[in-house]
Amino acid sequence: MTDLAMIHRSESAVSIELQTPDMTLNIGPQHPSTHGVLRLIAKVAGERVTDVEPVIGYMHRGYEKLSEVRTYAQITTLVNRIDWVAGFASEVPFIIGVEKLMGVEAPPRAQYIRMILTELARMASHLVFMSSYPLELGATTPLMYALREREYILELIEEVTGGRFHPNFNRVGGVKPVYGGGSMTKKWSLDLPEGFLQRARDAMDRMEQICDDIDTLVSDNELIKMRTVGIGVIPRDKALEYGLTGPNLRASGVAYDLRKVENLLPYDEIDFDIAVRQGGDCYDRYVLRIEEVRQSSRIVRQAVDQIPSGPLQTKVPRVLKAPRGQVYSRGENPKGEFGYHIVSEGARMPYRLKIRSTSFSNLSILPWILQDALIPDLVAIMGSLDFVLGDVDR
Amino acid sequence: MSDTPDTPTTETDVVEAAEHDGVETGALQQWADALVEELGALGSTVEFDTVRIHVDPARWVETINQARKKLELFSWLSAIDWSKDVEVGDPVDDVDTLEERFEVLCRLSSVENADGAIFVAVIDRENPFIDSLMPTIGGAEWHEREAHEMFGIDFVGNTNLIPLYLPDDFIGNPLLKSYPLLSREVKPWPGDVDVEPMPELPEIEATDDVESDTEGEES
Amino acid sequence: MNFWLELIIKLVAILGFVLTGALVVIYAELKAGSHMQGRIGPYYAGVRWGWAQPLADGLKFLQKEDLSPTGADRTIYGLAPYVVMMSTIAVFVVIPFGPDMVGRDLDLGIYFILAISSLSVLGILMAGWSSANKYSLMGGLRAAAQLIAYELPLVLAAAAVVVQAGTMSMNGIVLAQSETWFTVAGIDVAMPFLLKGQIISFIIFMIAVVAELSRIPFDMPIAESELTMGYLTEYSGIRFTMFFLGEYASMIAFSAIAATLFLGGYAAPGVPDGLANLVGPGVMLLKIALLVFVIIWIRWTWPRLREDQLQRLAWFWLIPIALANIAVVAIFKVVF
Repeated sequence: MTDLAMIHRSESAVSIELQTPDMTLNIGPQHPSTHGVLRLIAKVAGERVTDVEPVIGYMHRGYEKLSEVRTYAQITTLVNRIDWVAGFASEVPFIIGVEKLMGVEAPPRAQYIRMILTELARMASHLVFMSSYPLELGATTPLMYALREREYILELIEEVTGGRFHPNFNRVGGVKPVYGGGSMTKKWSLDLPEGFLQRARDAMDRMEQICDDIDTLVSDNELIKMRTVGIGVIPRDKALEYGLTGPNLRASGVAYDLRKVENLLPYDEIDFDIAVRQGGDCYDRYVLRIEEVRQSSRIVRQAVDQIPSGPLQTKVPRVLKAPRGQVYSRGENPKGEFGYHIVSEGARMPYRLKIRSTSFSNLSILPWILQDALIPDLVAIMGSLDFVLGDVDR
Repeated sequence: MSDTPDTPTTETDVVEAAEHDGVETGALQQWADALVEELGALGSTVEFDTVRIHVDPARWVETINQARKKLELFSWLSAIDWSKDVEVGDPVDDVDTLEERFEVLCRLSSVENADGAIFVAVIDRENPFIDSLMPTIGGAEWHEREAHEMFGIDFVGNTNLIPLYLPDDFIGNPLLKSYPLLSREVKPWPGDVDVEPMPELPEIEATDDVESDTEGEES
Repeated sequence: MNFWLELIIKLVAILGFVLTGALVVIYAELKAGSHMQGRIGPYYAGVRWGWAQPLADGLKFLQKEDLSPTGADRTIYGLAPYVVMMSTIAVFVVIPFGPDMVGRDLDLGIYFILAISSLSVLGILMAGWSSANKYSLMGGLRAAAQLIAYELPLVLAAAAVVVQAGTMSMNGIVLAQSETWFTVAGIDVAMPFLLKGQIISFIIFMIAVVAELSRIPFDMPIAESELTMGYLTEYSGIRFTMFFLGEYASMIAFSAIAATLFLGGYAAPGVPDGLANLVGPGVMLLKIALLVFVIIWIRWTWPRLREDQLQRLAWFWLIPIALANIAVVAIFKVVF
């Protein structure tokens, strides 16, 4: 309201209104619910947020610039640090982009291993969300339940790749030959560790169990529903306008999953459903991710059963020089579309690497969606977008 | 393939790339041609399953908005700096004939199927400006702010072109090719040590699966 | 007995009880909470079961620097924790642990309790305002709004009991519950008010207690994920310890009030009158422990409400129901 309108109103009103300027509330960069170093400059009138300006960049590491002086093999190390809760999932689109440039294709077994690990990373990421989101709403217990189960996933990832968060496991033309059992056993092995497939099946039992547990404890909880149903509704057209992808988009009623439409990994040999919900509110975004964990577990079960035997790497030249050209390669990260636009000028290093990180786009809707939210809703909405600051800032 | 690699590094690279890419290019090229026709764009490049539609910068906003009727999802917006003055990384091979320019890229995707295209507008490198997508696509605001601070491109119509990632008092546009990577100037990247000896090895020593872990290791 | 001697003994007893009680409740919360979360909880401190963890925590807090923000109103900032602590401790003066085990059996016992316990709002508001921190201020304001809203159902629920008991003295209320209600097969049966038709009051009272304590699901004044730590944001060291102890002490205090009002206080079935002073404290502690456990249980299970939902719950549901409840109780009292 302009000052003039304010004066006009106060004159016409019987009692003189007090002008109360909005308070500027600085949320972050050190704040329990900003998941790292996000800062929000919020204008608040009492509990109501009238305007919000996100400030990002506290963790900007300049990966796009650094990539210009790294060889393709070295960039793998960088890209799994972008979205660290699902490091493996962001490696895959990059490496497949380079493979497209080079004209090589990974052997089927390597592709299956990539698929299994991508889904494991997806589950790990969603479990972090399932644990941290109730925490935003004040429920502390689901945190422990979900994080405990995530350990089983991380153990599997570590067993194969040797790293819990940063696998750095993909190579152009396949996956790194496995040092059997990661850091746990030093035995040399050139395939998946012995018994891995069975342990993966066992872990999937636990995943389905924890999904049911979380459903009982959180999803069916009346208080959770009071806090999330109808809050932070993102309509379909706004979601598309702001480039939301992944669970955030699917909760708004768009059945768009790059696992189905893109042909990076052999998902077409697997039977699974895209989880979609229509409401577009915080509750839908939350429940949808639980459903996605169930679907991922289905994928892993089938992949583990169907995994073909064969080599893990195809023949590639020792010095990786991609031919000249531009390729955009994208894959379904746990948080949405993760893409790399690789501009190659025929050198060992890319001329330019544009990283399309998911959380950056997902977070860009914040100023729009937080208008007129209450401060408790601000936390609920922000949490439901499931972002990782490393993914926002790259 | 319009932009075939003309400076092959090894024979195998080129052969394999061509074989692999030749399969689907036909259908994709047709799709791209139809889109060019529909939007009145300048032309298209299809390579490595990636469609690029070349757009007249004067009709940038109009074209994108028209394309969004079909390709609804605004995915990202960025730029490429084609420059002769390269401080970091390798320069373009034919650097002498290079036409210095910025390319502004905007990716739109369909949410029904795998369709999607990158719209490219070439703008002047000395006086870089282009109309902003922000009034019609809210999500473009952050992407344009990033491109503005990284490349110095002016997005006419974006009302909030303040730095996004960089500190407010930062001077320079870091993603320009002429912008040095200062930490690299001070201390060379130790990773180079791993890489440098490699060219002396036999070039295409076909690594079979057992021993190939030396490739790119410890990177 | 010498008046002064008696006073000192009572003071030391109350202080000792409050402080050790708070430590025990903190330990119980640490341990019970961890088991509910599938953790072990404190383990090493004190050789076994981590029993010394609250002590160790307390010592750690005492060593920490007592910070106060530059813009803070130092006097008020320093005073606030003690106001909160004082209001909690004063409650124990009138809570009976046996027929004679009571600091001072005021005729207006319950009235005194409700009056003095609402003083803690003042302390919290002081803390929130004087911290010179926006989060603290918002936390303080939320706390004020919340405590005012929930003071009413609390008082109304207690009023229903007072109507039924016909006295405001805490001891009188206990005695009213030990009276013979009816006789079955020659056995005199006495019932606590909870089973004598006050179940609605009890539920309203417990909800209001959780709100008064600012604990989940009503912990908006602190709401870690929203306001970092609310009015506690700037506190550290000994002053934070005071708030912390005060929270747990008032948990005991409110549980003791609820035990007295609804669960029959120190009275237990089959205890001869002569032993009441001996057995009474044990019985009372058991009842307190039960209620404290319920409060802990709620905290580790539920998420928090939103500020407007909390106000709606109080004004639209609890207060009308409590008023209707008083009317019903009064009618029964007059008619029968």
